[in-house]
Amino acid sequence: MAAVEVHKFAQCITCHAWSRDRSMLAFCPNNNEVHIYALLQGKWEKLHVLQKHDQIVSGIDWSARSNKIVTASHDRNSYVWNLEGSEWVPTLVILRLNRAALCVKWSPRENKFAVGSGAKTVCICYYEQENNWWVSKLIRKRHDSSVTSVAWHPNNILLATASTDGKCRIFSTFIKVVDAKESRTGPSADSKFGEQILQLDLSFTWSFGVRWSPSGNTLAYVGHNSMIYFVDDVGPSPLAQNVAFRDLPLRDVLFLSERLVIGVGFDCNPMVFAADERGIWSFIKFLGERKTTSSGPKYGSQFSEAFGKLYGQPKQGFNNDTNEHSRSRGGVHENCINCIVPLGDPGSSKVKRFSTSGLDGKIVVWDMENQVDLAEYL
Amino acid sequence: MSNTLRLYLTCIRNTLDAAMCLQNFPCQEVERHNKPEVELKTSSELLLNPVLICRNEAEKCLIETSINSLRISLKVKQADELENILTKKFLRFLSMRAEAFQVLRRKPVQGYDISFLVTNYHCEEMQKHKLIDFIVQFMEDIDKEISELKMSVNTRGRLVATEFLKQFM
Repeated sequence: MAAVEVHKFAQCITCHAWSRDRSMLAFCPNNNEVHIYALLQGKWEKLHVLQKHDQIVSGIDWSARSNKIVTASHDRNSYVWNLEGSEWVPTLVILRLNRAALCVKWSPRENKFAVGSGAKTVCICYYEQENNWWVSKLIRKRHDSSVTSVAWHPNNILLATASTDGKCRIFSTFIKVVDAKESRTGPSADSKFGEQILQLDLSFTWSFGVRWSPSGNTLAYVGHNSMIYFVDDVGPSPLAQNVAFRDLPLRDVLFLSERLVIGVGFDCNPMVFAADERGIWSFIKFLGERKTTSSGPKYGSQFSEAFGKLYGQPKQGFNNDTNEHSRSRGGVHENCINCIVPLGDPGSSKVKRFSTSGLDGKIVVWDMENQVDLAEYL
Repeated sequence: MSNTLRLYLTCIRNTLDAAMCLQNFPCQEVERHNKPEVELKTSSELLLNPVLICRNEAEKCLIETSINSLRISLKVKQADELENILTKKFLRFLSMRAEAFQVLRRKPVQGYDISFLVTNYHCEEMQKHKLIDFIVQFMEDIDKEISELKMSVNTRGRLVATEFLKQFM
């Protein structure tokens, strides 16, 4: 089975993040706290509780190189936490938001982070040495609704956002103070801060979970209409593909390689999407094994099994109607999965492990090592 | 259970399964608020198209969905005046005890007999399929309950009438 570790830490988990060496784990147990667990002698133990927010924490990201945690919360604030000695010390971030912050992500070089908000804006935050706080620049105009997800292009300049107005947009986040020294290459070479590079109109309903592929050539995001969208050659003439699937919508996606994507969401079971040699994306399979609890003998009347599934068990009275539900989910997760985090070695570009967390309070680590049929895509 | 009722309930069950994809979503209009969007209807883009499932003219089910909440309104079959009064009284009795049911709305949506309001918090606390089972079971039982009530009212009426008429014998 692909799930190698299952931990139940809380009643409900909104988001989680790992430290660089995977020995520590930060998550929000669906309230205003962030709990940090560490692996001590083979057991996960609670080390710290970060209490500064006063509403539910909606986003956590742990920077690999600088070992800082950034949190975003519905209370409109965001903090950057730094480990000094054995204490996590918060630094204020001046977000200038008047609505909830919904998601947060460190940029690849970790000198900036992006916060998507319910104020229909995106904040790009960077550190100001002289004041000892993080200041933000806002991308104000373009969004017509809340920004549900943000993703950084590996070049540290481009930022993709998904919004509940159904659009996916790509912005340049070039900030002179921070990015001036670095060489500017690629399509973002001559764009100012906040300039919209591209707007993707593929979805007719809310879009969530946007991610770039490791090389930055492909962008994937999901719509609430059970679709996943792949966009190649982001720039003046993008190539888009829509993949519809028959199950419940996704919330978040993750690229394991250029040709393999994992989607998680309301179906409580990670879905695998892959691209063939021609670059055509399609749904491959569910990653978790689904225990089919009600099958076979129960439907053993004169009806076929499919007919029985459709109409329940007419011969056995309505007491069995509780089993009728065709989607009694027997996977590892029992409720919506809303967060997926890669667990790759920082050295190599390949991601073979990832972790998911969901509203059932579980954090599950998945390993792709023994998935023989998917090895060709990795 | 008759076959048409089963089809009706299966349809509602499947629709609820697809519609109950809710998530925590703070209000876009009011600072630091987090309210069911299906009730406030402040931002049209956060609402989905409502679904109306009808078994016949008298029995229907309206499912309205938004990003963080879901409203299910039921119209229960009322064949005659007695059923009408029984339904009204019985559902009023339930609505007044709405906290005990958690997902029950205190007041039904206009034009319907009883409404449920499911928010993302309910989905976090309870298992989704159990929640759907509860609502479908409720719909199944309500018909039975009403016809039982009707029966007992009729029986009682007959008894009382018999007792009353005995004095003239």
